[in-house]
Amino acid sequence: MKVLVAVKRVIDYNVKVRVKPDNTGVDLANVKMAMNPFCEIAVEEAVRLKEKGVATEIVVVSIGPKAAQEQIRTALALGADRGIHIETDEEVQSLQAAKLLKAVVDKEEPKLVILGKQSIDTDNNQTGQMLAALAGMPQGTFASEVVVDGDKVNVTREVDGGLVTVQLNLPAVVTTDLRLNEPRYASLPNIMKAKKKPLDTQSPADLGVDLTPRLTTLKVEAPQTRKAGIKVGSVEELVDKLKNEAKVI
Amino acid sequence: MTAKTPEEIIQALRERVPSGKVLTDPDDLQTYGKDWTKVYEPNPLAIVLPKTTEEVQAIVLFANEHGIGLVPSGGRTGLSAGAVAANGEIVVAFDAMNKVLDFNANDRTVVCQAGVVTQQLQQFAEEQGLFYPVDFASSGSSQLGGNLSTNAGGIKVIRYGMSRDWVAGLTVVTGKGDILELNKDLEKNNSGYDLRHLFIGAEGTLGFITEATMKLTRQPMDLRVLVLGLADITNTMDVLKAFQEKLDLTAYEFFSHQAMNHVRAHSDIQPPFDTEAPFYALLEFEALSEQQVDDAMAAFELCVEEGWVLDGVISQSETQAKNLWQLRERVSESIAPRTPYKNDISVVVSKVPGFLKEIDAVVSEHYPDFEIIWFGHIGDGNVHLNILKPEDMDKEDFFRKCEKVNKWVFEIVERHRGSISAEHGVGMIKKPYLGYTRSEAEIGYLKAIKQVFDPNGIMNPGKLLDV
Ligand SMILES: Cc1cc2nc3c(=O)[nH]c(=O)nc-3n(C[C@H](O)[C@H](O)[C@H](O)COP(=O)(O)OP(=O)(O)OC[C@H]3O[C@@H](n4cnc5c(N)ncnc54)[C@H](O)[C@@H]3O)c2cc1C
Ligand SMILES: Cc1cc2nc3c(=O)[nH]c(=O)nc-3n(C[C@H](O)[C@H](O)[C@H](O)COP(=O)(O)OP(=O)(O)OC[C@H]3O[C@@H](n4cnc5c(N)ncnc54)[C@H](O)[C@@H]3O)c2cc1C
Repeated sequence: MKVLVAVKRVIDYNVKVRVKPDNTGVDLANVKMAMNPFCEIAVEEAVRLKEKGVATEIVVVSIGPKAAQEQIRTALALGADRGIHIETDEEVQSLQAAKLLKAVVDKEEPKLVILGKQSIDTDNNQTGQMLAALAGMPQGTFASEVVVDGDKVNVTREVDGGLVTVQLNLPAVVTTDLRLNEPRYASLPNIMKAKKKPLDTQSPADLGVDLTPRLTTLKVEAPQTRKAGIKVGSVEELVDKLKNEAKVI
Repeated sequence: MTAKTPEEIIQALRERVPSGKVLTDPDDLQTYGKDWTKVYEPNPLAIVLPKTTEEVQAIVLFANEHGIGLVPSGGRTGLSAGAVAANGEIVVAFDAMNKVLDFNANDRTVVCQAGVVTQQLQQFAEEQGLFYPVDFASSGSSQLGGNLSTNAGGIKVIRYGMSRDWVAGLTVVTGKGDILELNKDLEKNNSGYDLRHLFIGAEGTLGFITEATMKLTRQPMDLRVLVLGLADITNTMDVLKAFQEKLDLTAYEFFSHQAMNHVRAHSDIQPPFDTEAPFYALLEFEALSEQQVDDAMAAFELCVEEGWVLDGVISQSETQAKNLWQLRERVSESIAPRTPYKNDISVVVSKVPGFLKEIDAVVSEHYPDFEIIWFGHIGDGNVHLNILKPEDMDKEDFFRKCEKVNKWVFEIVERHRGSISAEHGVGMIKKPYLGYTRSEAEIGYLKAIKQVFDPNGIMNPGKLLDV
């Protein structure tokens, strides 16, 4: 069974994000980039399926600038078999990403598509769902367990009240949640082997997708900084402040 | 002078430091009377928290008049019982002298009071877009005064050196009560003896450091971390050489497989790879461009071909870099429940493999049921030898046996021309063993120097040397 995994290049989780002074976006100059953490989980899940003998081929796809090939190489080092890079320097919104992925799905005909539930840069949580709709596939989102069973896949989903397990017919789309697995490190020998794995580059135009954004960002602002705490002298003072200043009791 | 009761002395002290606090509460005496070692029972007369250099001077003059010992106290994270007051001394704590006084962007220097916490200086540097590179696990509590008085090292020494290398100038109060401004922050100043360096590493035995001008540097760029599985302990230095031929490393640490097992049992941290190795090396370098990453790959390939390295990983993100560091940084806390007997020893880098083998052989021959945990800053020739207490052995018995081990270990240190204290200082814990590293003649000079700065022996009595 062929598995397609989508990975995105985003600002490293550990970087302190700075908003541009003109509030048009986030400052990306000289900022460390890395694979979106949910995509790491998606790659890991595909690799585990391959190790179990369920998956036979893992194709990894990334949409983004030339440098996104770093993240594809990482996925190849982790165990993916070949990469597809859809190269663009344009902004790619969720719908456009879903359309590009749909075009790849049409070509590759994977049985399972695994994506992160969201990317930590825009936090949209849309691409997987949109892809499922466009491709006419069933979807299992926020997966904390994925068990392939013949031509079906059981996906345990993390929802507000607990866990829901859904059974989907393959081919299907799965999006990963944090607890699905703990991704491994890319080993140095595998990083070297990954350099020789095939990586095919395409353009959005090759796939017939128009990237014109449908949404306009009006303003980006940094979150409010937390106010410093204060020390209170007595329980009475604490109660008074909670009542009259914080107004929480 | 007429003899005074402790109460009268404390009252007189209060009058001498009008703006500083004097504490005598039993809880405060306990807290301020000891450092991280917790071996000696604290018993200070009082704690005083001065606010200015002049107040420190007043305290020193007062102590000279009354013949009372003074114990300088920083963050009390020291590991040699340097900041311990067990004999009725007055503890001088720097918590109230914790201000960054000045910053000079052109000189890239920052003037700090001695009580500035290491992490506070690191953060201040970061806010200026700069970097203070001395770093270790206790930097959230340790103070600059303590760092300099122990010449603290840490995890970046291979690239950035010790605390000593970052001091442009010092203000000190000598044990005689003189205020000296040492080196005046100059880069070049060949005007005779550099007293600044006598106070660095003096463990408070010559006087107090009250202010320090520290140098800052540019922030490191993209830091990458590798963890390698080594085939044998003797390969640590081959691997170091292979990488250093191509890269400037910012860290080269090592830990044994047992050490990693303790870390993994203690906290939920995943191993770097499945391949089991007896020892692991952690390397860090700055990836200024992809070239450095390629160079690291090439060095790795060589190490594998030579059979020195069994497997390895490289961080693909800052998160991964941080997680890989945890494997090394958590060793200390993970073995703490096992009452480890700790040694902090060093030899020149080229002698490390033979040195480790010898010590390992001696300890395991005499005490086969002792578990030995090796880790440390091996790129600087500095290793931490930790012996864990067998569960069924009582503490007294264990420590007595370790004392014997100590002697053998230090004899090996001496033979390899190493140090009995690489970065933790001497304090009281290592004092009996100083002779393994310093000759009798040299110790004579140390004592003479002490005599010059502190003729009445009021500064940190009983630490480092007996006079
Ligand atoms: C978890 C942990 C990890 C550590 N890792 C490292 C490491 O990697 N590398 C390393 O080098 N050390 C390490 N240490 C040891 C210790 O943190 C350092 O030596 C630190 O620099 C001590 O600073 P402090 O302010 O806590 O000093 P204290 O313990 O308060 O004092 C240390 C010595 O300095 C003297 N002193 C303090 N302030 C002054 C002053 N203003 N003037 C004159 N003398 C003064 C004291 O009398 C004492 O002799 C570690 C300790 C812990 C607990
Ligand atoms: C053209 C020129 C250019 C120079 N440029 C520089 C420069 O750019 N930077 C710089 O720093 N200096 C410079 N100097 C100064 C001088 O060259 C240096 O100070 C040099 O290090 C002195 O070395 P020397 O062997 O000639 O010492 P000497 O002149 O022989 O002695 C210098 C001092 O060291 C003592 N001394 C010598 N040998 C020993 C020993 N074995 N043990 C103990 N004490 C000893 C002597 O008693 C004397 O006090 C320059 C000099 C000249 C003539």
